[in-house]
Amino acid sequence: MPAAAPDVIELHLPPDPKYIAVVRLTVAGVASRSGISVDDVDDLKVAVCEAFTNTIDHAFRGRDPKSVTIRMATGSADLRIEVVDEGIGFDPSIIDFEKQADLSGKGGLGLYLVHQYMDDVKVESQPGSGTRIIMTKRLAR
Amino acid sequence: MVRPRMSDLRISTDNIDGWLQSIRVDGELDAYTAPELMEAVTQILDQGAAWLVIDLRQVDYIDSVGLGILIGGAKRAGEKNGDMAVACGKPNVVRVFEVSGTAQLLNVVDDLTRAVEILSAKHAARGGCEADGAGGDQ
Repeated sequence: MPAAAPDVIELHLPPDPKYIAVVRLTVAGVASRSGISVDDVDDLKVAVCEAFTNTIDHAFRGRDPKSVTIRMATGSADLRIEVVDEGIGFDPSIIDFEKQADLSGKGGLGLYLVHQYMDDVKVESQPGSGTRIIMTKRLAR
Repeated sequence: MVRPRMSDLRISTDNIDGWLQSIRVDGELDAYTAPELMEAVTQILDQGAAWLVIDLRQVDYIDSVGLGILIGGAKRAGEKNGDMAVACGKPNVVRVFEVSGTAQLLNVVDDLTRAVEILSAKHAARGGCEADGAGGDQ
C-alpha cells in the first residue's frame, strides 16, 4: 500500500512581528498532532519563529512587503516546515551553519538556533527571487 | 514599579539591595515583545545601575532577539564594572541559553536566590559599594 500523503497546513501571514505568536501557537498545534515529543515541539517553535523573524528582518528591505507562507507537512517519518517569501533574496552560500554562535548581541543568533534545533535545514534563494527556508524534524518514535 | 502594558509581556523593576536592581519578566519574549525588555534594561542602566538580576522564571519562551537584548545589557553592565545574572527555570527557556552558548556569559541559573548570590559574590570581590559606578556612563 502506498504511503499516505502528508497532511499539509499553510499559513499566510504579513511579515510583521505581531504574528510571531500566531506562528508559535500554530506550529505547536500542528506538531503536537504529528506524534512529536513535547521537547521537540518546543524546539520547532523556536526554529520556525526564528526563521519567520529572519524573514521579517531581511526579506523585504527596499521592497513592498508581501505575505510570507509557512507550510507544514506532517509525514509518517518527519515534519517538514518551509518559510517562503517573495522578497529580495540573497546568495545562500554566505550562510555558514557550522560557524559558532555570534554572541556580540548584534544579531546573527537566529539562523544558528534554527540549525541547532532542526535535524536538517536548507536555504534556497537567489538575489531578486525570494527565499525558501526548508526545515525538517525527524519524528522520534 | 509596574511598567505600562503594551503586549502580553509584563515587566516590573525593583531595587533589591541598593547596589542591585532586578527586572522581572512574565510572558513570552520574542521580536514583538522584546523591545519592552530593551526599554527596561536601557532605562535601569541609564539611571546608574551596574548590577542586574533578570528574573525570567515566569517566561515561557525566549528567542534570539531576547538573547541579544540580554547580551547587550550584560556588556553595558560590565562596562560599568557591574554584571548581570539571569534566573530562569523553564527547561525550554534554559535550553535556548544552553544551545546558544549564552548560559555562562549571562550567569544563567534556575533560582533567583542563586542569581543574587552570584552577583553578591562578584560585587564583594570588586570592592562592594566602593566600586559601584566606576566606569559608569550616567
